[in-house]
Amino acid sequence: MAHDYILQMHGVTKRFPGVTALEKVDLELRSGEVLALMGENGAGKSTLMKILGGAQPPDEGTLRIDGNPVEFRHVSDSRRHGIVLVHQELMMATNLDVAGNIFLGSETCRWGMLQRRAMHTASESLLRRVGLACSPATLVGSLTPGQMQMVEIAKALSHKARILILDEPTSSLTLTESEQLFKIIGDLRRQGIAIIYISHRMEEVQRLADRVIVLRDGKRVGELQREQITQQKIVSMMVGRELTNWYPPLRPAAQYPAILEVDNLIVPGAPCPVSFVAGAGEILGFAGLVGAGRTELMQAIFGVTPPIGGVVTLNGKHFRPRSPRDAINRGIYLAPEDRKHHGLVLPMSIAQNISMPDVCNYKPFGWLHRRQEATVAKKQLNALRIKAPGVKYRVGSLSGGNQQKVVLGKWLAMQPKILILDEPTRGVDVGAKAEIYREMMELAQQGVTILMVSSEMEEILGMSDRIVVMRERRLEGILPRQQATQENIAALMTGAGKT
Amino acid sequence: MRRELGIFCAVVVMCGFLFWSNHDFGNAGNILNLSRQAAMLGIFAIGSSFVIITGGIDLSVGGIIGLTGVLIAKISSPSIHCLHYPLWMGIGIAMAVALLIGLCQGLLISKLKLPPFIVTLAGMLLWRGLAQIITHGGTLGLGTSPLINLSTEGLFRYGYHSVLAYPVLMFIGVIILAGYLLHATVFGRYVFAIGGNRDAARYSGIPVDRVETLTYVISAGLAGVAGICYASYIGQMTYLVGNGYELNAIAAAVIGGVSLRGGEGSVLGAIIGSIMLELIQNGIILFKWVYHVAGQRKVFTISSNWTYFITGAVILLAVLIDQLASNFNERKRLRRQAQVIAAKQEGGKTAAGAG
Repeated sequence: MAHDYILQMHGVTKRFPGVTALEKVDLELRSGEVLALMGENGAGKSTLMKILGGAQPPDEGTLRIDGNPVEFRHVSDSRRHGIVLVHQELMMATNLDVAGNIFLGSETCRWGMLQRRAMHTASESLLRRVGLACSPATLVGSLTPGQMQMVEIAKALSHKARILILDEPTSSLTLTESEQLFKIIGDLRRQGIAIIYISHRMEEVQRLADRVIVLRDGKRVGELQREQITQQKIVSMMVGRELTNWYPPLRPAAQYPAILEVDNLIVPGAPCPVSFVAGAGEILGFAGLVGAGRTELMQAIFGVTPPIGGVVTLNGKHFRPRSPRDAINRGIYLAPEDRKHHGLVLPMSIAQNISMPDVCNYKPFGWLHRRQEATVAKKQLNALRIKAPGVKYRVGSLSGGNQQKVVLGKWLAMQPKILILDEPTRGVDVGAKAEIYREMMELAQQGVTILMVSSEMEEILGMSDRIVVMRERRLEGILPRQQATQENIAALMTGAGKT
Repeated sequence: MRRELGIFCAVVVMCGFLFWSNHDFGNAGNILNLSRQAAMLGIFAIGSSFVIITGGIDLSVGGIIGLTGVLIAKISSPSIHCLHYPLWMGIGIAMAVALLIGLCQGLLISKLKLPPFIVTLAGMLLWRGLAQIITHGGTLGLGTSPLINLSTEGLFRYGYHSVLAYPVLMFIGVIILAGYLLHATVFGRYVFAIGGNRDAARYSGIPVDRVETLTYVISAGLAGVAGICYASYIGQMTYLVGNGYELNAIAAAVIGGVSLRGGEGSVLGAIIGSIMLELIQNGIILFKWVYHVAGQRKVFTISSNWTYFITGAVILLAVLIDQLASNFNERKRLRRQAQVIAAKQEGGKTAAGAG
């Protein structure tokens, strides 16, 4: 029955010096099937996909395409067999148009002249296949992340892909865009294209996958058929234990004394002013689709992009934040969404990153007091259980979860009054996630107000005392815990409640 | 530190080699001249390093050197076509102009977000052009101005020479100040943080604009100081003095391990880089190799026409070795990490077995 499978990987082993990244992994794929590949960070998913994509040869094991043994030495080898990988971070030349990107690296040309007309026509039909209604002459830079994803898929189709690998395709998509993507995945499946779908989002996997393969520590630990898939089963396979306390127990609903009042704040680019009140020790969740203006609102409160109107009142003092320093001096801190670009200086050490906003206070007679810096950092290292050999360790070499903890540590060292957390658990593995939640609860108990922006519904529901819902850069509503159901939030988020 | 140590070793080896090939290298005159040259280059190379570490670049350094020298000559030289004011006024005004230039360039770059390359490229032409206008394209002699003594006089006389010429003393002063500023103060930390990740620095409340502006002021100010030294050393100013020196400064910084990507570098590196650069030029002149062919004594020397070529090769070699070394270290680090993980897994297994 071997010919049933379009792809068979058998006993694939890959060793890196001192560590076995993959150990005797089997994977088989039928055409027209969506296979979800799951596992925690470092479980070996990406190594396996690199082997399949031809970027790395395996040490042991065989690959068969249509039952015939093949050997991939280079990316072009796997391309030739119709295997295309769409990366999580979209790799697009934003200065070129859609057609230029679809045919990037495989341009049609005659006598060295680009055949624009031919490429545009071909692009049009590819775009139609992925359901993207835009001209091939549109600049990619002007597309939304969701549309770019479609262009990537169109590009894959232009390579006559038979096996399409999607690595966390929805991580930067809005709900509608995700829906669109799922529809296209359905279409592709009907056309007989096999899809390997890598994602951390359980709902998607439940919805899309015909089969799930779970990897843990480089081994295949289990396989679930469509009818067997449940979140609990997948998670317990991934972490090897039943997960009981993902979120800390919710606190009883209470009245919190108002501490932060945002009054008619006008965020640059937003259509109307925003007002809300947050209480001391309250966790205020901000729900919304990507692009709903939540990050922009937080950046305005923090002074990164100063608001052009309105007033923020903290402890009875009115002000309009003009710069991050302004907000920091008042005890309002922001842990940004994009920690690699906005949160951390990757080549610097843990201590240097933690001290960054406060280092101007470590200077008797102008000297930078390194011992004080190290002491403060060590305290945070222990309190947050950051896994690192020491405070002088480079932040860039830490895992995502530990990096996020460093970002938190930098603000916790300065006694926050208001802590803004923008997607606090993005790219963080399950264990670190739970620890971050616990830390948030502790802070709230101590009276710190937390404004949490999150695109994960579970996180919003699991953590928030009240939930602010935003849509298209407007504040749509504030839901107390009792009214906060998935349906209510989703209705406000998508504007479904209105006619 | 690895990079600085490597270049330092190379400098020591080169010195030994040059001394072996030509004992004139060790002459008091040559050594003192070399130290003076390296000091003058080092002063503004350190300035440039501040800018480069923030991730910027300053191409106006050479122009500022030329302009300050010309201003001093114009204002205070006792020669014809000059204004005969006292020397302190000349130096004062020239330095004030240099600092002002730095401030303007810095503000244009940090506040208006103009690209540093363009702003300082324009500056390079503007200030060189201003010097040309002031001199009418000609020469301004410093004549009997006391400034002439600056480069020749110094502390601790040794025969005809001062062991520590004033430019060298100034260099030492600059080293101490800049070293303190860059490596021991909060300001220095901010310089590195901005070069490492400008946005993260801003999100941490660092006054990015102010720090960045200040680095351009420092760079221009130190170029001004170097300009004073060069005016004294050359004894007469044309607008072409300092032409292309901005690239020498960048080369010295890069050889000394200052990364053009920003966030990396040290004052020590800029110093050693400057010494290296001057040593190459000195070595090309002094290098000779005596050999005998059929009993005939022959001497091999390098034509000074090779200077640019060899300098270019040295710069390339320095960054090449650095990159290879860091690739090697990265691999070593990954291997170590892998071993740690493997050990942990092994430990987990035995623990599980025991349980």
